[in-house]
Amino acid sequence: MNKNTVIVFLSLFAFFGLAMYFPYTPTPVKIEHPKYWPNPVYNFEKNPLTKEGIRLGRKLFYDPILSKDSTISCSSCHLSYTAFTHVDHSLSHGINDSIGTRNSPSLMNLAWHSSFMWDGAVNHLDVQALAPITHPAEMDEDLNNVIRKLKNTQGYSRMFYKAFNDSSITGEHLLKAISQFELTLISCNSKYDSVMRKASTFTLQEENGYQIYQKNCASCHSEPLFTNNQFEKNGLPTDPLLNDFGRYNITKDPTDSLKFKVPTLRNIEFSFPYMHDGRFKNLSQVFKHYTSNTSNSILLSSNEKVDLTAFLLTLTDKHFLFNKKHSFPRELFYPQNKLKK
Amino acid sequence: MRLLFIIIFLLTLQVSSGQNTNRINVTVSPIVKSKDNSSPSNTDSIAITNLKFYLTKFSLTKSQETVWQEENSSHLIDIANPKSLDFALNLSKNIDFDAIHFLLGTDSLTNVSGVMGGDLDPTKGMYWAWNSGYINFKLEGENNTVPFEFHLGGYAPPFQTVQKIKLKTDSKNNITIELDVLKFLKQLDLTTQKKIMSPGKEAQQLAIMLSTLFSIRE
Repeated sequence: MNKNTVIVFLSLFAFFGLAMYFPYTPTPVKIEHPKYWPNPVYNFEKNPLTKEGIRLGRKLFYDPILSKDSTISCSSCHLSYTAFTHVDHSLSHGINDSIGTRNSPSLMNLAWHSSFMWDGAVNHLDVQALAPITHPAEMDEDLNNVIRKLKNTQGYSRMFYKAFNDSSITGEHLLKAISQFELTLISCNSKYDSVMRKASTFTLQEENGYQIYQKNCASCHSEPLFTNNQFEKNGLPTDPLLNDFGRYNITKDPTDSLKFKVPTLRNIEFSFPYMHDGRFKNLSQVFKHYTSNTSNSILLSSNEKVDLTAFLLTLTDKHFLFNKKHSFPRELFYPQNKLKK
Repeated sequence: MRLLFIIIFLLTLQVSSGQNTNRINVTVSPIVKSKDNSSPSNTDSIAITNLKFYLTKFSLTKSQETVWQEENSSHLIDIANPKSLDFALNLSKNIDFDAIHFLLGTDSLTNVSGVMGGDLDPTKGMYWAWNSGYINFKLEGENNTVPFEFHLGGYAPPFQTVQKIKLKTDSKNNITIELDVLKFLKQLDLTTQKKIMSPGKEAQQLAIMLSTLFSIRE
């Protein structure tokens, strides 16, 4: 062994020693929410948001590598421009054109959700992505295989290292990164919000619709998130082809039969079709259901329906829907194009 | 050259200095084969292909009082991975105890706290994607070529499956915990009960049954 070997050994030792004491520190990100909102239920201490983590999560969200044949990404059924739902499809599509049994829900304000999926099958945001990744009609993939593919894809190890100080890709970090991106999907800049902040006022028609909403809809679609996050039975007849009993499938409690999670009304203008199976294409069909089919139906005149619609449109948040930070991250998938520009 | 040896010497010193604590070596030994080969029994036709379960929240007591608790205590026991059958409990000092406690499975807090790493990482194949929660105990195999599959889990009342186990022991250095899986299978009628894949009353009953089949090998 000569002097050079010793020097090489020593410098390597010094490098790894220093690397251990000076790990890469990701940049913390704090998400803001309006003062009139409750505190989030998500525990950010266990998964602190960072610029690098959100970036990684956003790439994973848009990467079809999560599916078995690399054709389906999260965004296939959750499109940013339509409040992250699968617009115009009553039942969402998955791998090999298979069709699921439910309408993909919109994704927003997820830090305030205590359960996920229409039946609350998933109890925490971090483990939600496992369900579509492994479902045979959605991405039909195995988590270990996803990790194997990510390890063989250039760039991912580096992104994981930057986000979690660990270049070995684990299931925990993969799922936490997806959560981090999803947690940034906050919709709080609708006209309704600006009225709440006293920065603008409702028109007479909107104000009238707001009163109608408060009287008839607010017990389930409660302000300010426009959902009570509970499971409710809204009188929809069961579809004999789907035979979906909702919450009952999870709790096996007969009183939960046909109960589904109350969806938010925020961005309702863009999140059609409606209901867990997407059976209603537009708001007038929804109104028709609530004013005629349920045991405790609501009485609304046609004028009142127009006013209610006007109010519901104040829940549209263009800032959220067209936020470039939420859409397909071109620069993460085609970094070379950036140079050409 | 001499410098190199000094560095290596210092490194070894650093490693060995960490071993000043008191260690208890735990060996988990699931009984999956009949010990007595001469007499034919009704379990001879059973072949186990997969056996994985969680042992968590290890603690030691002396006269009913907790004297030590393991931090982040989660051990995935996997019969196909011999390394997982042996682990050490690292005590900070010599502690006198007369019983070892642990849970078969994961507690409800673990089940509602999102994604975890290490032995609790969902890549370990012990997490239900479509009804959130850990599979506490997984046993798969064949009985007379008829397959059986028991995935026992569930944390939500009234069908919790996690079980508290307490075993008396005087052993100070090596503890061997046995789980009589064969006896468990003998207690079942594998011709009628052969598949459990979701939380419920059945899963709970089987978990309770398993909790009585732990013992310390003297």
